[in-house]
Amino acid sequence: MIDDDVLSTHLQELRRGTVVLASLLLLRRPGYGYALLEELARTGLAVDANTLYPLLRRLEKQGLLTSEWSTDEPRPRKFYRTSVDGAALAETLRREWADLSTAFATLEDGS
Amino acid sequence: MTSTLTDRYVAAVLRTVPGTRRPDIERELRASVADAVDDLVAAEHDPQDAEIRALSALGDPVRLAAQYTDRPLYLIGPGLYLDYVRVVGVLLATVAPLLAVGVGILRHLDGAGPGDVLTSAALGACAGGIVVVGWVTLAFVVAERSPGLRARRARPWSPASLPQLPGTRVDVPELLGGLAFLVLGTCLLVVFQVFSPVRDAGGDPVGVLQPALWDSGAPVLVLLFALARTAFDVVGYTVGWTTAHAVANTVLSVLFVPAVVWLVLTGRLLNDEFFRIVGWPHATAVPGVLTSVLVVLVVLVGARDTVDGFRRARRTSRRHRSEPLPPPSTRRSTSTGEMS
Repeated sequence: MIDDDVLSTHLQELRRGTVVLASLLLLRRPGYGYALLEELARTGLAVDANTLYPLLRRLEKQGLLTSEWSTDEPRPRKFYRTSVDGAALAETLRREWADLSTAFATLEDGS
Repeated sequence: MTSTLTDRYVAAVLRTVPGTRRPDIERELRASVADAVDDLVAAEHDPQDAEIRALSALGDPVRLAAQYTDRPLYLIGPGLYLDYVRVVGVLLATVAPLLAVGVGILRHLDGAGPGDVLTSAALGACAGGIVVVGWVTLAFVVAERSPGLRARRARPWSPASLPQLPGTRVDVPELLGGLAFLVLGTCLLVVFQVFSPVRDAGGDPVGVLQPALWDSGAPVLVLLFALARTAFDVVGYTVGWTTAHAVANTVLSVLFVPAVVWLVLTGRLLNDEFFRIVGWPHATAVPGVLTSVLVVLVVLVGARDTVDGFRRARRTSRRHRSEPLPPPSTRRSTSTGEMS
């Protein structure tokens, strides 16, 4: 039986980085922080709010996301959208993910 | 009432965020908290309970602010930690013995007894060590937070900087020999001084050293020097001898050699009575054969020790530089040559 702490550490290690890819993909359509948080949770990529919000700003600073304040609604919200660079990075990351997946499939067949 | 907790939370986050970024982060954070609260209320939570849950999910506000500003949540990170440990080690190994000797000398000049001198020396070394660790830590904490300083650091590690295996640094025989010589020498001196076979008319033992010098507690200082020297050797053996060690070692020699020479030349070291009884009445005369030999010997030993310190440091730093390790056979012959 694997220790719970050990298990969660390994899962966390494996999932690290997937939030970036998921956010870049989801934000091809503009979205705001809380909505993105909920959507990620719904798709099984749950992430902590205190990780996601600073991450969005970091991606924005790196030019991978653009942002715009929407003041149409009663509650002003900051909408993020994947930039051209962000889309390119998402494509690269997705290909990497596919390669890894293929590599693991090969490993399993081989054994 | 419901807004107070959120207000306090937002204020706590913004406190450590630069002013220009505050309005934007505040608006977004408030909207996110409000969205979360709305959702929880819609799921039939009590509004106050919903706010507490929403804020709890965000966690410690200072941690959140640190993530917004990319501030490290540690004093010294893995990139600098090893350098930090090395610098602290070298400084402690050089400064603490020097301080022990320095404090010991000062206390002795104040007229303190042997016990007091040794205690003060130990306390001085400890206090100095704490100060050294404090300042080095502060410097590294600042460096950790200065991207410019961090980027300038150190060439990448290479196998050439691997420490030598024990026995090829300060050699084991050299280390043990030095320690044995120290212990034996001290014992002989004490035994000979206190239980000297040379007796005066009244049958009391007459030592080779001036009784006034002996009674003044100066031997305690010699003991301090010896301990400091031993500390250097042991450190040199375990972590490798550095230029800092060589400099500290030189300072010790500079303190020690002139003092002994002065004692000899002013007739304060050797006991005239001792030499009169053994039938060499003019032995302590200056200039004289014995005193000249003593002075030359002390100066030579001091000089050799100083040069040796720098030679060891150079040998270590040469090993740390890029040159590839010579093949085992040649290395063996070089290290034998260096042992001389």
